Amino acid sequence: MRKNSLKFHSHWFFLSPSVLLVSFFYFIPVVLVFTIAFTNMDQLFSWRFVGLVNFLRLFTLKDPLIPRIIKNTIIYIISGLPLTIIGALFISLLTMRINRTASLIFRAIFFFPRLVPPVVWGFLWMWSFEGTRYGVFNSILKGFGVSPIHWFIESPMLIVICANGFLGISLAMLIFTSAIASIPKDYTWAAEIDGASFWQTSRFIIIPLLKWPIMTMTAWHLMSFINSYVYIFLITGGGPYHATEVWALYGYNSAFKNYQYGYGSSIMVILVIINLVLLLVLLKIFGMRRMIERSRIEV
Amino acid sequence: MKKIFDKWIIYIILSLIAIPFLIMYIAFFAQAFSKGILLGIIPQKLSFSNFSFLWSTIPWGLEKTRIWGIFLNTLLFASISGLAVTVVCTLTGYALSRLEFRGKAFLLSMQLILHAVSGQILLIAIFFLLLYTKLLYKVPGVALARASLEIPLGVWMIKGFFDTVPWDIERSAMIDGCTRFQLWYKIFLPLIKPGIGAVFIWGFLFAWHDFIYVYTLLPGTVPLLSTLVQGLLATEVVDYGIIAAISLFYMLPPLFLFVFLQKALMKAPIMGGKGMA
Repeated sequence: MRKNSLKFHSHWFFLSPSVLLVSFFYFIPVVLVFTIAFTNMDQLFSWRFVGLVNFLRLFTLKDPLIPRIIKNTIIYIISGLPLTIIGALFISLLTMRINRTASLIFRAIFFFPRLVPPVVWGFLWMWSFEGTRYGVFNSILKGFGVSPIHWFIESPMLIVICANGFLGISLAMLIFTSAIASIPKDYTWAAEIDGASFWQTSRFIIIPLLKWPIMTMTAWHLMSFINSYVYIFLITGGGPYHATEVWALYGYNSAFKNYQYGYGSSIMVILVIINLVLLLVLLKIFGMRRMIERSRIEV
Repeated sequence: MKKIFDKWIIYIILSLIAIPFLIMYIAFFAQAFSKGILLGIIPQKLSFSNFSFLWSTIPWGLEKTRIWGIFLNTLLFASISGLAVTVVCTLTGYALSRLEFRGKAFLLSMQLILHAVSGQILLIAIFFLLLYTKLLYKVPGVALARASLEIPLGVWMIKGFFDTVPWDIERSAMIDGCTRFQLWYKIFLPLIKPGIGAVFIWGFLFAWHDFIYVYTLLPGTVPLLSTLVQGLLATEVVDYGIIAAISLFYMLPPLFLFVFLQKALMKAPIMGGKGMA
Protein backbone atom coordinates (compact mmCIF):
# COMPACT_ATOMS: atom_id res chain seq x y z
CA MET A 1 0.00 0.00 0.00
CA ARG A 2 2.77 2.36 1.03
CA LYS A 3 4.65 1.53 -2.11
CA ASN A 4 1.66 2.47 -4.23
CA SER A 5 1.21 5.85 -2.65
CA LEU A 6 4.93 6.57 -3.09
CA LYS A 7 4.70 5.69 -6.76
CA PHE A 8 1.74 7.99 -7.17
CA HIS A 9 3.69 10.93 -5.79
CA SER A 10 6.81 10.31 -7.81
CA HIS A 11 5.13 10.07 -11.18
CA TRP A 12 3.09 13.18 -10.57
CA PHE A 13 6.25 15.06 -9.72
CA PHE A 14 7.69 14.16 -13.12
CA LEU A 15 4.48 14.64 -15.06
CA SER A 16 3.02 17.79 -13.58
CA PRO A 17 5.08 20.36 -15.54
CA SER A 18 4.11 18.96 -18.92
CA VAL A 19 0.53 18.27 -17.92
CA LEU A 20 0.18 21.81 -16.59
CA LEU A 21 1.79 23.47 -19.58
CA VAL A 22 -0.03 21.44 -22.20
CA SER A 23 -3.41 21.77 -20.52
CA PHE A 24 -2.92 25.47 -19.93
CA PHE A 25 -1.88 26.30 -23.47
CA TYR A 26 -3.81 23.59 -25.19
CA PHE A 27 -6.87 22.16 -23.46
CA ILE A 28 -8.02 25.43 -21.94
CA PRO A 29 -7.79 27.13 -25.36
CA VAL A 30 -9.95 24.39 -26.87
CA VAL A 31 -12.64 25.14 -24.28
CA LEU A 32 -12.10 28.87 -24.68
CA VAL A 33 -12.47 28.83 -28.47
CA PHE A 34 -15.80 27.05 -28.10
CA THR A 35 -16.92 29.68 -25.58
CA ILE A 36 -15.81 32.71 -27.59
CA ALA A 37 -17.58 31.30 -30.65
CA PHE A 38 -20.91 32.03 -28.94
CA THR A 39 -20.10 35.67 -28.21
CA ASN A 40 -19.77 38.67 -30.46
CA MET A 41 -16.34 39.47 -29.09
CA ASP A 42 -14.65 42.40 -30.83
CA GLN A 43 -11.84 44.77 -30.01
CA LEU A 44 -13.69 45.97 -26.90
CA PHE A 45 -13.15 42.50 -25.38
CA SER A 46 -16.60 42.41 -23.79
CA TRP A 47 -18.29 39.06 -23.29
CA ARG A 48 -21.78 39.27 -24.76
CA PHE A 49 -23.25 35.88 -25.48
CA VAL A 50 -25.27 35.95 -28.66
CA GLY A 51 -26.12 32.29 -29.00
CA LEU A 52 -25.83 30.79 -32.42
CA VAL A 53 -25.60 34.05 -34.37
CA ASN A 54 -22.03 33.42 -35.56
CA PHE A 55 -22.86 29.92 -36.73
CA LEU A 56 -26.04 31.07 -38.45
CA ARG A 57 -23.98 33.64 -40.29
CA LEU A 58 -21.75 30.81 -41.49
CA PHE A 59 -24.39 28.28 -42.44
CA THR A 60 -27.09 30.47 -43.88
CA LEU A 61 -24.52 32.15 -46.13
CA LYS A 62 -25.17 35.63 -44.76
CA ASP A 63 -21.47 36.13 -45.27
CA PRO A 64 -21.08 36.45 -49.06
CA LEU A 65 -17.47 35.27 -48.89
CA ILE A 66 -18.22 31.84 -47.46
CA PRO A 67 -18.98 29.96 -50.74
CA ARG A 68 -15.76 31.31 -52.19
CA ILE A 69 -13.74 30.31 -49.12
CA ILE A 70 -15.18 26.80 -49.19
CA LYS A 71 -14.39 26.48 -52.88
CA ASN A 72 -10.84 27.69 -52.29
CA THR A 73 -10.34 25.28 -49.40
CA ILE A 74 -11.55 22.33 -51.42
CA ILE A 75 -9.35 23.22 -54.40
CA TYR A 76 -6.42 23.76 -52.07
CA ILE A 77 -6.79 20.39 -50.36
CA ILE A 78 -7.72 18.21 -53.32
CA SER A 79 -4.86 19.47 -55.44
CA GLY A 80 -2.31 20.01 -52.68
CA LEU A 81 -2.63 16.60 -51.08
CA PRO A 82 -2.08 14.51 -54.25
CA LEU A 83 0.78 16.82 -55.24
CA THR A 84 2.45 16.13 -51.89
CA ILE A 85 1.95 12.38 -51.79
CA ILE A 86 2.39 11.52 -55.47
CA GLY A 87 5.20 14.05 -55.86
CA ALA A 88 7.07 12.68 -52.85
CA LEU A 89 6.54 9.11 -53.98
CA PHE A 90 7.70 9.94 -57.49
CA ILE A 91 10.81 11.76 -56.30
CA SER A 92 11.75 9.06 -53.80
CA LEU A 93 11.25 6.27 -56.36
CA LEU A 94 13.42 8.12 -58.86
CA THR A 95 16.16 9.06 -56.40
CA MET A 96 16.46 5.46 -55.24
CA ARG A 97 17.41 4.43 -58.77
CA ILE A 98 20.38 6.72 -59.33
CA ASN A 99 23.79 6.73 -57.71
CA ARG A 100 24.21 7.76 -54.10
CA THR A 101 25.86 11.14 -54.50
CA ALA A 102 23.41 12.36 -57.11
CA SER A 103 20.42 11.17 -55.12
CA LEU A 104 21.75 12.90 -52.00
CA ILE A 105 22.09 16.16 -53.93
CA PHE A 106 18.55 15.94 -55.27
CA ARG A 107 17.16 15.03 -51.88
CA ALA A 108 19.01 17.94 -50.29
CA ILE A 109 17.40 20.29 -52.80
CA PHE A 110 13.95 18.99 -51.99
CA PHE A 111 14.60 18.87 -48.26
CA PHE A 112 15.73 22.49 -48.06
CA PRO A 113 12.18 23.85 -47.40
CA ARG A 114 12.15 22.04 -44.02
CA LEU A 115 15.39 23.73 -42.99
CA VAL A 116 14.54 27.33 -43.76
CA PRO A 117 12.22 29.31 -41.49
CA PRO A 118 8.64 29.78 -42.76
CA VAL A 119 9.23 33.49 -43.27
CA VAL A 120 12.19 32.84 -45.54
CA TRP A 121 10.36 30.16 -47.50
CA GLY A 122 7.48 32.56 -47.94
CA PHE A 123 9.88 35.31 -48.96
CA LEU A 124 11.49 33.06 -51.57
CA TRP A 125 8.15 32.32 -53.22
CA MET A 126 6.84 35.84 -52.96
CA TRP A 127 9.97 37.26 -54.48
CA SER A 128 10.49 34.60 -57.16
CA PHE A 129 7.01 35.07 -58.55
CA GLU A 130 6.80 38.81 -58.15
CA GLY A 131 4.84 40.44 -60.93
CA THR A 132 7.32 43.22 -61.67
CA ARG A 133 10.60 42.85 -63.50
CA TYR A 134 12.38 42.45 -60.14
CA GLY A 135 10.93 39.02 -59.55
CA VAL A 136 13.41 36.18 -60.07
CA PHE A 137 11.52 34.35 -62.81
CA ASN A 138 10.45 37.56 -64.50
CA SER A 139 14.03 38.83 -64.67
CA ILE A 140 15.09 35.54 -66.25
CA LEU A 141 12.22 35.81 -68.74
CA LYS A 142 13.29 39.37 -69.47
CA GLY A 143 16.62 38.00 -70.66
CA PHE A 144 14.69 36.06 -73.27
CA GLY A 145 12.66 39.11 -74.23
CA VAL A 146 9.42 38.05 -72.52
CA SER A 147 7.50 40.81 -70.79
CA PRO A 148 6.86 40.36 -67.03
CA ILE A 149 4.10 37.95 -66.12
CA HIS A 150 1.85 38.82 -63.17
CA TRP A 151 2.08 35.39 -61.58
CA PHE A 152 0.10 36.33 -58.48
CA ILE A 153 -2.78 37.69 -60.51
CA GLU A 154 -2.77 34.93 -63.12
CA SER A 155 -2.62 31.90 -60.84
CA PRO A 156 -2.23 32.74 -57.15
CA MET A 157 -3.74 29.45 -56.01
CA LEU A 158 -1.23 27.40 -57.97
CA ILE A 159 1.70 29.22 -56.35
CA VAL A 160 0.29 28.72 -52.87
CA ILE A 161 -0.41 25.04 -53.54
CA CYS A 162 3.12 24.45 -54.84
CA ALA A 163 4.74 26.32 -51.94
CA ASN A 164 2.83 24.19 -49.43
CA GLY A 165 3.01 21.04 -51.51
CA PHE A 166 6.78 21.08 -51.75
CA LEU A 167 7.01 21.70 -48.05
CA GLY A 168 4.95 18.57 -47.55
CA ILE A 169 7.05 16.72 -50.11
CA SER A 170 10.20 17.34 -48.07
CA LEU A 171 8.80 15.41 -45.11
CA ALA A 172 6.98 12.71 -47.07
CA MET A 173 10.06 12.15 -49.24
CA LEU A 174 12.15 11.53 -46.12
CA ILE A 175 9.68 8.94 -44.83
CA PHE A 176 9.26 7.24 -48.20
CA THR A 177 12.96 7.00 -49.01
CA SER A 178 13.74 5.46 -45.64
CA ALA A 179 10.86 3.03 -46.12
CA ILE A 180 12.03 2.11 -49.63
CA ALA A 181 15.57 1.64 -48.35
CA SER A 182 14.29 -0.88 -45.81
CA ILE A 183 12.66 -3.08 -48.47
CA PRO A 184 14.86 -6.15 -49.02
CA LYS A 185 16.75 -5.83 -52.30
CA ASP A 186 15.78 -9.40 -53.29
CA TYR A 187 12.26 -8.30 -54.15
CA THR A 188 13.25 -5.69 -56.70
CA TRP A 189 16.12 -7.77 -58.08
CA ALA A 190 13.82 -10.72 -58.61
CA ALA A 191 11.39 -8.48 -60.44
CA GLU A 192 14.13 -7.03 -62.59
CA ILE A 193 15.41 -10.47 -63.54
CA ASP A 194 11.86 -11.32 -64.60
CA GLY A 195 12.06 -8.33 -66.90
CA ALA A 196 9.91 -5.86 -65.01
CA SER A 197 10.29 -2.25 -66.08
CA PHE A 198 10.87 0.63 -63.65
CA TRP A 199 7.17 1.44 -63.72
CA GLN A 200 6.17 -2.19 -63.14
CA THR A 201 8.61 -2.65 -60.25
CA SER A 202 7.33 0.52 -58.61
CA ARG A 203 3.69 -0.21 -59.20
CA PHE A 204 3.56 -3.87 -58.28
CA ILE A 205 6.43 -4.32 -55.81
CA ILE A 206 7.39 -1.11 -54.04
CA ILE A 207 4.13 0.81 -53.73
CA PRO A 208 2.16 -2.11 -52.21
CA LEU A 209 4.95 -2.51 -49.65
CA LEU A 210 4.75 1.19 -48.82
CA LYS A 211 1.05 1.00 -48.01
CA TRP A 212 1.39 2.09 -44.38
CA PRO A 213 3.83 4.95 -44.87
CA ILE A 214 1.67 6.27 -47.72
CA MET A 215 -1.50 6.07 -45.65
CA THR A 216 0.01 7.70 -42.58
CA MET A 217 1.60 10.46 -44.64
CA THR A 218 -1.71 11.07 -46.42
CA ALA A 219 -3.49 11.38 -43.11
CA TRP A 220 -0.78 13.61 -41.69
CA HIS A 221 -0.72 15.96 -44.64
CA LEU A 222 -4.49 16.03 -44.94
CA MET A 223 -4.53 17.50 -41.46
CA SER A 224 -1.70 19.87 -42.35
CA PHE A 225 -3.55 21.14 -45.39
CA ILE A 226 -6.75 21.66 -43.42
CA ASN A 227 -5.06 23.44 -40.53
CA SER A 228 -2.08 25.37 -41.76
CA TYR A 229 -2.41 28.84 -43.08
CA VAL A 230 0.93 30.36 -42.14
CA TYR A 231 2.48 29.98 -45.58
CA ILE A 232 -0.55 31.35 -47.40
CA PHE A 233 -0.60 34.21 -44.94
CA LEU A 234 3.06 34.95 -45.70
CA ILE A 235 2.95 34.54 -49.46
CA THR A 236 -0.34 36.14 -50.48
CA GLY A 237 -2.11 37.02 -47.24
CA GLY A 238 -5.24 35.45 -48.74
CA GLY A 239 -5.30 37.86 -51.66
CA PRO A 240 -5.58 39.02 -54.34
CA TYR A 241 -9.27 39.59 -53.55
CA HIS A 242 -9.64 36.47 -51.41
CA ALA A 243 -8.44 34.25 -54.27
CA THR A 244 -6.23 32.19 -51.95
CA GLU A 245 -8.14 32.59 -48.71
CA VAL A 246 -8.80 29.18 -47.21
CA TRP A 247 -11.01 28.32 -44.25
CA ALA A 248 -8.34 28.44 -41.53
CA LEU A 249 -6.86 31.67 -42.87
CA TYR A 250 -10.29 33.23 -43.06
CA GLY A 251 -10.77 32.42 -39.39
CA TYR A 252 -7.46 34.06 -38.57
CA ASN A 253 -8.16 37.13 -40.67
CA SER A 254 -11.67 37.54 -39.27
CA ALA A 255 -10.25 37.59 -35.78
CA PHE A 256 -7.00 39.49 -36.10
CA LYS A 257 -7.59 41.64 -39.16
CA ASN A 258 -11.28 42.48 -38.83
CA TYR A 259 -11.28 42.15 -35.01
CA GLN A 260 -14.33 39.87 -35.08
CA TYR A 261 -12.94 37.45 -32.53
CA GLY A 262 -16.31 35.79 -31.95
CA TYR A 263 -16.90 35.13 -35.62
CA GLY A 264 -13.31 33.99 -36.13
CA SER A 265 -13.66 31.56 -33.23
CA SER A 266 -16.81 30.06 -34.70
CA ILE A 267 -14.91 29.45 -37.95
CA MET A 268 -12.11 27.78 -35.99
CA VAL A 269 -14.62 25.72 -33.98
CA ILE A 270 -15.83 24.16 -37.23
CA LEU A 271 -12.21 23.24 -37.96
CA VAL A 272 -11.70 21.77 -34.49
CA ILE A 273 -14.80 19.61 -34.93
CA ILE A 274 -13.76 18.49 -38.43
CA ASN A 275 -10.32 17.60 -37.13
CA LEU A 276 -11.60 15.66 -34.15
CA VAL A 277 -13.95 13.65 -36.36
CA LEU A 278 -11.10 13.03 -38.79
CA LEU A 279 -8.86 11.97 -35.93
CA LEU A 280 -11.43 9.47 -34.67
CA VAL A 281 -11.89 8.04 -38.16
CA LEU A 282 -8.14 7.74 -38.58
CA LEU A 283 -7.70 6.07 -35.21
CA LYS A 284 -10.41 3.63 -36.23
CA ILE A 285 -8.54 2.83 -39.45
CA PHE A 286 -5.01 2.74 -38.13
CA GLY A 287 -5.45 1.80 -34.52
CA MET A 288 -3.94 3.88 -31.74
CA ARG A 289 -0.80 1.80 -31.43
CA ARG A 290 0.24 2.11 -35.01
CA MET A 291 -0.33 5.84 -35.06
CA ILE A 292 1.78 6.29 -31.96
CA GLU A 293 4.59 4.09 -33.15
CA ARG A 294 4.78 5.75 -36.51
CA SER A 295 6.09 8.91 -34.93
CA ARG A 296 9.36 7.15 -34.24
CA ILE A 297 10.46 7.55 -37.83
CA GLU A 298 9.38 11.11 -38.11
CA VAL A 299 11.77 13.55 -36.50
CA MET B 1 22.26 0.26 -73.43
CA LYS B 2 18.64 0.53 -72.46
CA LYS B 3 19.62 0.79 -68.80
CA ILE B 4 21.90 3.76 -69.36
CA PHE B 5 19.17 5.45 -71.32
CA ASP B 6 16.76 4.89 -68.42
CA LYS B 7 19.24 6.49 -66.01
CA TRP B 8 19.45 9.58 -68.17
CA ILE B 9 15.71 9.94 -68.29
CA ILE B 10 15.61 9.80 -64.49
CA TYR B 11 18.28 12.49 -64.23
CA ILE B 12 16.45 14.70 -66.70
CA ILE B 13 13.09 14.37 -64.94
CA LEU B 14 14.60 15.05 -61.52
CA SER B 15 16.53 18.02 -62.84
CA LEU B 16 13.43 19.48 -64.43
CA ILE B 17 11.65 19.38 -61.07
CA ALA B 18 14.69 20.67 -59.21
CA ILE B 19 15.68 23.54 -61.50
CA PRO B 20 13.02 26.07 -60.41
CA PHE B 21 14.04 25.46 -56.81
CA LEU B 22 17.73 25.72 -57.59
CA ILE B 23 17.05 29.01 -59.33
CA MET B 24 15.25 30.27 -56.23
CA TYR B 25 18.06 29.21 -53.90
CA ILE B 26 20.81 30.58 -56.12
CA ALA B 27 18.97 33.86 -56.59
CA PHE B 28 18.66 34.08 -52.83
CA PHE B 29 22.39 33.73 -52.18
CA ALA B 30 23.41 35.77 -55.22
CA GLN B 31 21.11 38.59 -54.19
CA ALA B 32 22.51 38.65 -50.65
CA PHE B 33 26.18 38.86 -51.65
CA SER B 34 26.11 41.16 -54.66
CA LYS B 35 25.23 44.68 -55.67
CA GLY B 36 23.55 44.10 -58.97
CA ILE B 37 22.11 40.98 -60.47
CA LEU B 38 21.88 39.77 -64.02
CA LEU B 39 19.11 37.52 -65.29
CA GLY B 40 17.87 36.93 -61.78
CA ILE B 41 20.63 34.56 -60.71
CA ILE B 42 24.01 35.83 -61.96
CA PRO B 43 25.66 38.14 -59.42
CA GLN B 44 27.35 41.12 -61.04
CA LYS B 45 29.55 42.59 -58.35
CA LEU B 46 30.48 40.77 -55.20
CA SER B 47 29.88 42.97 -52.19
CA PHE B 48 28.90 42.86 -48.57
CA SER B 49 27.00 46.13 -48.67
CA ASN B 50 23.75 44.27 -48.08
CA PHE B 51 25.14 43.17 -44.75
CA SER B 52 25.62 46.75 -43.58
CA PHE B 53 22.70 46.23 -41.19
CA LEU B 54 25.17 44.41 -38.94
CA TRP B 55 26.94 47.63 -37.99
CA SER B 56 24.48 50.34 -38.94
CA THR B 57 20.72 50.75 -39.05
CA ILE B 58 18.16 49.01 -41.25
CA PRO B 59 16.52 51.48 -43.62
CA TRP B 60 12.97 50.57 -42.74
CA GLY B 61 10.30 53.20 -43.25
CA LEU B 62 10.96 56.39 -41.32
CA GLU B 63 12.23 54.77 -38.17
CA LYS B 64 15.72 53.41 -38.01
CA THR B 65 15.87 49.89 -36.68
CA ARG B 66 18.96 48.18 -35.34
CA ILE B 67 19.40 44.46 -35.77
CA TRP B 68 21.14 43.54 -32.52
CA GLY B 69 18.28 44.46 -30.22
CA ILE B 70 15.97 42.38 -32.37
CA PHE B 71 18.53 39.57 -32.41
CA LEU B 72 18.75 39.57 -28.61
CA ASN B 73 14.96 39.51 -28.30
CA THR B 74 14.78 36.55 -30.64
CA LEU B 75 17.55 34.83 -28.71
CA LEU B 76 15.66 35.41 -25.45
CA PHE B 77 12.43 34.13 -26.95
CA ALA B 78 13.99 31.00 -28.43
CA SER B 79 16.11 30.26 -25.34
CA ILE B 80 13.17 30.49 -22.95
CA SER B 81 11.17 28.24 -25.22
CA GLY B 82 14.07 25.81 -25.64
CA LEU B 83 14.76 25.67 -21.90
CA ALA B 84 11.10 25.15 -21.06
CA VAL B 85 10.86 22.32 -23.58
CA THR B 86 14.07 20.75 -22.24
CA VAL B 87 13.13 20.85 -18.56
CA VAL B 88 9.57 19.66 -19.10
CA CYS B 89 10.53 16.95 -21.56
CA THR B 90 13.36 15.47 -19.53
CA LEU B 91 11.01 15.19 -16.54
CA THR B 92 8.13 13.71 -18.49
CA GLY B 93 10.33 11.53 -20.67
CA TYR B 94 11.71 9.83 -17.57
CA ALA B 95 8.24 9.09 -16.25
CA LEU B 96 7.09 7.72 -19.59
CA SER B 97 10.15 5.54 -19.93
CA ARG B 98 10.40 4.17 -16.39
CA LEU B 99 7.16 4.53 -14.50
CA GLU B 100 3.78 2.88 -14.90
CA PHE B 101 0.70 5.00 -14.52
CA ARG B 102 -2.77 5.48 -15.91
CA GLY B 103 -3.14 7.67 -18.97
CA LYS B 104 0.30 6.82 -20.34
CA ALA B 105 -1.06 5.92 -23.78
CA PHE B 106 -2.99 9.16 -23.89
CA LEU B 107 0.12 11.19 -23.11
CA LEU B 108 2.02 9.36 -25.82
CA SER B 109 -0.69 10.07 -28.37
CA MET B 110 -0.69 13.79 -27.56
CA GLN B 111 1.52 14.46 -30.54
CA LEU B 112 -1.12 13.21 -32.92
CA ILE B 113 -3.93 15.10 -31.21
CA LEU B 114 -1.82 18.23 -31.28
CA HIS B 115 -1.26 17.85 -34.99
CA ALA B 116 -4.98 17.33 -35.57
CA VAL B 117 -6.13 20.35 -33.59
CA SER B 118 -3.02 22.41 -34.04
CA GLY B 119 -1.94 25.47 -32.12
CA GLN B 120 -2.52 27.58 -35.20
CA ILE B 121 -6.27 27.15 -35.10
CA LEU B 122 -6.40 27.75 -31.36
CA LEU B 123 -4.53 31.02 -31.72
CA ILE B 124 -7.57 33.19 -31.01
CA ALA B 125 -8.19 31.40 -27.73
CA ILE B 126 -4.50 31.56 -26.80
CA PHE B 127 -4.59 35.27 -27.49
CA PHE B 128 -7.40 35.70 -24.95
CA LEU B 129 -5.81 33.33 -22.48
CA LEU B 130 -2.60 35.36 -22.50
CA LEU B 131 -4.60 38.58 -22.37
CA TYR B 132 -6.38 37.58 -19.17
CA THR B 133 -3.27 36.14 -17.53
CA LYS B 134 -1.37 39.35 -18.33
CA LEU B 135 1.17 37.45 -20.42
CA LEU B 136 0.17 38.91 -23.76
CA TYR B 137 2.75 41.09 -25.53
CA LYS B 138 5.48 39.74 -23.24
CA VAL B 139 8.32 37.65 -24.59
CA PRO B 140 8.43 35.01 -21.78
CA GLY B 141 4.69 34.37 -21.87
CA VAL B 142 4.58 33.90 -25.62
CA ALA B 143 7.72 31.75 -25.45
CA LEU B 144 5.99 29.43 -22.97
CA ALA B 145 2.91 29.21 -25.18
CA ARG B 146 5.18 28.34 -28.10
CA ALA B 147 7.06 25.76 -26.03
CA SER B 148 3.89 23.87 -25.19
CA LEU B 149 3.50 22.98 -28.87
CA GLU B 150 6.84 21.19 -29.05
CA ILE B 151 6.45 19.21 -25.83
CA PRO B 152 4.63 16.13 -27.21
CA LEU B 153 7.23 15.41 -29.87
CA GLY B 154 10.10 16.43 -27.58
CA VAL B 155 8.88 13.91 -25.02
CA TRP B 156 9.01 11.21 -27.69
CA MET B 157 12.57 12.13 -28.59
CA ILE B 158 13.88 12.12 -25.04
CA LYS B 159 11.98 8.97 -24.09
CA GLY B 160 14.06 7.11 -26.66
CA PHE B 161 17.22 8.23 -24.86
CA PHE B 162 15.87 7.24 -21.44
CA ASP B 163 14.97 3.83 -22.83
CA THR B 164 18.61 3.12 -23.67
CA VAL B 165 19.80 3.46 -20.06
CA PRO B 166 20.06 -0.02 -18.54
CA TRP B 167 17.74 -0.88 -15.66
CA ASP B 168 20.69 -2.24 -13.67
CA ILE B 169 22.12 1.24 -13.17
CA GLU B 170 18.80 2.44 -11.86
CA ARG B 171 18.37 -0.53 -9.55
CA SER B 172 21.85 -0.31 -8.05
CA ALA B 173 21.40 3.40 -7.44
CA MET B 174 18.10 2.74 -5.70
CA ILE B 175 19.69 0.08 -3.53
CA ASP B 176 22.31 2.66 -2.58
CA GLY B 177 19.47 4.84 -1.34
CA CYS B 178 18.73 7.21 -4.20
CA THR B 179 15.31 8.82 -4.29
CA ARG B 180 13.50 9.04 -7.60
CA PHE B 181 14.49 12.65 -8.01
CA GLN B 182 18.14 12.02 -7.17
CA LEU B 183 18.07 9.12 -9.60
CA TRP B 184 16.75 11.36 -12.34
CA TYR B 185 19.09 14.21 -11.56
CA LYS B 186 22.32 12.44 -10.65
CA ILE B 187 22.18 9.22 -12.66
CA PHE B 188 20.00 9.74 -15.70
CA LEU B 189 20.70 13.33 -16.76
CA PRO B 190 24.48 12.84 -17.15
CA LEU B 191 23.85 9.69 -19.14
CA ILE B 192 21.44 11.23 -21.64
CA LYS B 193 23.30 14.48 -22.36
CA PRO B 194 23.04 14.00 -26.14
CA GLY B 195 19.28 13.64 -25.76
CA ILE B 196 19.05 16.81 -23.69
CA GLY B 197 20.99 18.65 -26.37
CA ALA B 198 18.72 17.31 -29.08
CA VAL B 199 15.56 18.36 -27.25
CA PHE B 200 16.97 21.80 -26.51
CA ILE B 201 17.84 22.30 -30.17
CA TRP B 202 14.37 21.09 -31.07
CA GLY B 203 12.62 23.60 -28.82
CA PHE B 204 15.03 26.40 -29.69
CA LEU B 205 14.83 25.87 -33.43
CA PHE B 206 11.05 25.89 -33.65
CA ALA B 207 10.75 28.98 -31.50
CA TRP B 208 13.51 30.66 -33.52
CA HIS B 209 11.71 29.87 -36.74
CA ASP B 210 8.23 30.64 -35.48
CA PHE B 211 6.30 33.34 -37.19
CA ILE B 212 2.56 33.25 -36.52
CA TYR B 213 2.73 33.15 -32.71
CA VAL B 214 5.26 35.95 -32.61
CA TYR B 215 3.37 38.01 -35.16
CA THR B 216 0.02 37.64 -33.42
CA LEU B 217 0.93 37.60 -29.75
CA LEU B 218 3.80 40.09 -29.57
CA PRO B 219 3.21 43.77 -30.33
CA GLY B 220 4.61 45.36 -33.47
CA THR B 221 7.01 47.38 -31.33
CA VAL B 222 8.85 44.20 -30.30
CA PRO B 223 9.87 42.66 -33.62
CA LEU B 224 11.77 39.40 -33.63
CA LEU B 225 13.83 38.36 -36.63
CA SER B 226 10.92 36.52 -38.27
CA THR B 227 8.53 39.43 -37.94
CA LEU B 228 11.29 41.80 -39.04
CA VAL B 229 11.73 39.94 -42.32
CA GLN B 230 7.97 39.85 -42.83
CA GLY B 231 7.68 43.53 -41.96
CA LEU B 232 10.38 44.46 -44.45
CA LEU B 233 8.61 42.44 -47.12
CA ALA B 234 5.28 44.09 -46.36
CA THR B 235 6.61 47.65 -46.73
CA GLU B 236 8.03 46.95 -50.20
CA VAL B 237 10.47 49.85 -50.15
CA VAL B 238 13.52 47.89 -49.08
CA ASP B 239 15.35 46.13 -51.88
CA TYR B 240 15.48 42.37 -51.96
CA GLY B 241 19.23 42.25 -51.42
CA ILE B 242 18.88 43.49 -47.86
CA ILE B 243 15.99 41.13 -47.10
CA ALA B 244 18.00 38.22 -48.48
CA ALA B 245 20.99 39.22 -46.34
CA ILE B 246 18.86 39.55 -43.19
CA SER B 247 17.22 36.20 -43.96
CA LEU B 248 20.65 34.60 -44.19
CA PHE B 249 21.65 36.20 -40.90
CA TYR B 250 18.40 34.89 -39.43
CA MET B 251 19.08 31.33 -40.58
CA LEU B 252 22.63 31.07 -39.23
CA PRO B 253 22.34 30.95 -35.38
CA PRO B 254 20.49 27.60 -35.19
CA LEU B 255 23.25 26.17 -37.37
CA PHE B 256 25.96 27.46 -35.03
CA LEU B 257 24.05 26.20 -32.03
CA PHE B 258 23.77 22.78 -33.60
CA VAL B 259 27.50 22.55 -34.35
CA PHE B 260 28.42 23.89 -30.92
CA LEU B 261 26.08 21.64 -28.96
CA GLN B 262 26.92 18.61 -31.02
CA LYS B 263 30.59 18.91 -30.06
CA ALA B 264 29.79 19.42 -26.41
CA LEU B 265 27.14 16.80 -26.06
CA MET B 266 28.08 13.94 -28.30
CA LYS B 267 30.74 12.96 -25.78
CA ALA B 268 28.67 10.26 -24.14
CA PRO B 269 30.18 9.15 -20.82
CA ILE B 270 31.75 5.74 -20.75
CA MET B 271 29.28 3.43 -19.10
CA GLY B 272 30.39 0.37 -17.19
CA GLY B 273 26.95 -0.98 -16.47
CA LYS B 274 26.09 -4.59 -17.07
CA GLY B 275 24.43 -5.14 -20.40
CA MET B 276 25.96 -2.09 -22.03
CA ALA B 277 27.28 -2.57 -25.50
